[in-house]
Amino acid sequence: MTDDASVVRARAATVKEAAVALRSSRIEGRAHWLANAARALDEAVRRGHRELSDATGLSVAMVDWATRTTLSTVREDALQALVRNARRDIDGTADPLALLSVILAGNVFTASVRGIVVPLLLGVPVLVKASSRDTVFPMMFRAALRSADSRLGASMDLVAFPGSDVECNAALVEVAEAVSVYGSDETVAALTSQVGDTPLIAHGHGVSVAYCGAGASADARFTSTIENLALDICAYDQRGCLSPQLVYVEETSSQTAAAFARRLIDEGLDPTGRTLPRGPLPGSVGAAQAQWRGMAEVEGALLVGDHCSVSIRAPQPIRWSPAYRNVAVCPVRGLDEAVQAMESIGSHLKCVGTDAGSLPEVRARLAESPTLNAYACPLGEMQTPSLDAPADGLPIWHGLFRTSMFGKTR
Amino acid sequence: MSARAELKVRIKAQIATFEAAEPVDISVRDQLIEDLATWQATRIPEYGRLRQRGAWPPALPTDVFRFRRIAAHPKEQDLRVFRSSGTTSSERSIHVYSDLELYDAAARAAARHMLFPDAERTRLVILAPHEDEAPDSSLEYMLARFAEWFGTETTWIWRSGALDLELLTDRLREAEQSATPVAVLGTSFAFVHAEDGLGQRRFKLAPGSRVMQTGGYKGRSREVDPDVLLDAIGARYGIPAPRIINEFGATELSSQMYGTTLRDEVDGRSGPRRLWVPPWVRATPVDPDTLQPVAGGEVGILRIDDTANLDSVCCIQTADLAQRLADGIVVLGRAPGATPRGCSLAADQALGGL
Repeated sequence: MTDDASVVRARAATVKEAAVALRSSRIEGRAHWLANAARALDEAVRRGHRELSDATGLSVAMVDWATRTTLSTVREDALQALVRNARRDIDGTADPLALLSVILAGNVFTASVRGIVVPLLLGVPVLVKASSRDTVFPMMFRAALRSADSRLGASMDLVAFPGSDVECNAALVEVAEAVSVYGSDETVAALTSQVGDTPLIAHGHGVSVAYCGAGASADARFTSTIENLALDICAYDQRGCLSPQLVYVEETSSQTAAAFARRLIDEGLDPTGRTLPRGPLPGSVGAAQAQWRGMAEVEGALLVGDHCSVSIRAPQPIRWSPAYRNVAVCPVRGLDEAVQAMESIGSHLKCVGTDAGSLPEVRARLAESPTLNAYACPLGEMQTPSLDAPADGLPIWHGLFRTSMFGKTR
Repeated sequence: MSARAELKVRIKAQIATFEAAEPVDISVRDQLIEDLATWQATRIPEYGRLRQRGAWPPALPTDVFRFRRIAAHPKEQDLRVFRSSGTTSSERSIHVYSDLELYDAAARAAARHMLFPDAERTRLVILAPHEDEAPDSSLEYMLARFAEWFGTETTWIWRSGALDLELLTDRLREAEQSATPVAVLGTSFAFVHAEDGLGQRRFKLAPGSRVMQTGGYKGRSREVDPDVLLDAIGARYGIPAPRIINEFGATELSSQMYGTTLRDEVDGRSGPRRLWVPPWVRATPVDPDTLQPVAGGEVGILRIDDTANLDSVCCIQTADLAQRLADGIVVLGRAPGATPRGCSLAADQALGGL
């Protein structure tokens, strides 16, 4: 499916017009419709998960897991709580945007859920440019919205065209009051040069890390800590911004990084891989994986599991993995050293997953860091953020209201 | 005789056997690869750390050459240091030699067989800097040796960082008028620059002429689809497609592979476009997870075991995708950006990582 600029403009006009009816509905009603749409979408994915697996390159089991865990956050109570929080944060007289254009990336197919649900909840109609790699999920999403309520369904539509199509990109920007873009830094930079005065809500590239303090290994819950970390790594085959690429492990006499890495393979990644298999490895990633694994072996140590590997190497300099379940375990003397290493990542760092015992301290350290705006969460939850979790350090409703609101939000 | 000297004799013997048009025993080559790898693992700590998986010795990733000096000899014995061009990375591959005898033997034998099978010597026009201008480039080193081994007279067209298109035009017009065959050798980006600068000037080079093009673009010119460039070169210089030969080399290697088209023509054979692998080299697409050879004609990542790499590491894991054919390989390139690698890739680049 490839649309031209006239189709982009026509769909934008239709969606914009439909939003009048959407905004006249009660917000509680929208929450109800959206929760119903999420359930319908979940069912649709279960029926079409093979097609979605082909489109995303994830295994069928991973598609099911990703859909289930993401859509389970779209509940009426969570949606209403999000509205309450947004109302507290914004100027009550601010109007929602007349139209938001959303440009999706292909790495994490469920990223579109928050990117579409939240604007619709707040009365902002959405024109979505699907990733060229995956139009299947957005089409299922549109059908689910239409099945839940005609006003809701009419307030979202899809377009698809190559990212290099300058005319279509220009049309997508011209029709919108703001543009939300998920994608590479190059995509964001290219859009920035095209949007002019139109506000850009950029969700550029990022990385995430994990931290395991000394107490984790002594904790009776250590096995579940390992399992949770493995789940965070395996989810979406480690292709997303919230996927941990590095695991900082506080070494003690009873917990070495090497032993941690061994357990991560044996008790975490390999068993998780049996229930949530990795998707096929694309050729170019395979080439990068061979280089990364070889370098890891030359520089330190490498443990190889079944479609996964763990390198053990110093925290600096950082050598990023090619993802696809290749992760580095970096021994540190404590949180100070880990935070120092994280600070070298700067604003690209999105999330720090941590063992339960270290969570309060990690949160505090991130809050006081002048260079980081990442958030901390327990291991096992890195890839399943709540509906109202911040995005790039900003509230999820950031940019969805007119100017009066922008001054008040953080 | 030292272990190194003994290995060197065996490597030279392989190349000499080939040059004498005698069959090279593949099992002898494979044993040589094993013995080289064993010796190198004891001399080069980085290589010694790699674990063997499967039947073959481990292969060292090309990336390692960007970060470590990989050599079986101490630094003070470095005779020549080759560095990759690398405008796309802040770190360039480095390959050091204490001795260029094997490099020369391999380069000469391969080029004689594939690039100059029908001409003892010919006039050379080289679209690349002279090695005096780029002493750390293995390509420029090789081209300078070609001038010595195969050239009647050689003109270097790349001067002070740019192509001298007037000089190129003069040399090719002279060759046209005297009906003298000429070999035009250069990088793909140099040919693109020539395309962009020559305008309406076209040539009809004499029968027996040929073109060798090598290498990628690395951001040094606009990128052109290989088939489009092949057509453009053919039309520009008046050279039939079989006589436009692709060369595949790398800083990390001492041997080169060549497109088979000219050789096929000389031998009266035909076949798909592919690269010829010298018999002292083993080129194998491998599975990225297991690093074991892929089955049949499946696409894998290219492992090259180059026995002429005596003073570094023989077994090299490249990042190129390749496919095996009955009598050669097809290198498919790296397909950058063809797959979703998530957020980490661009952040990686933004952060200046690998």
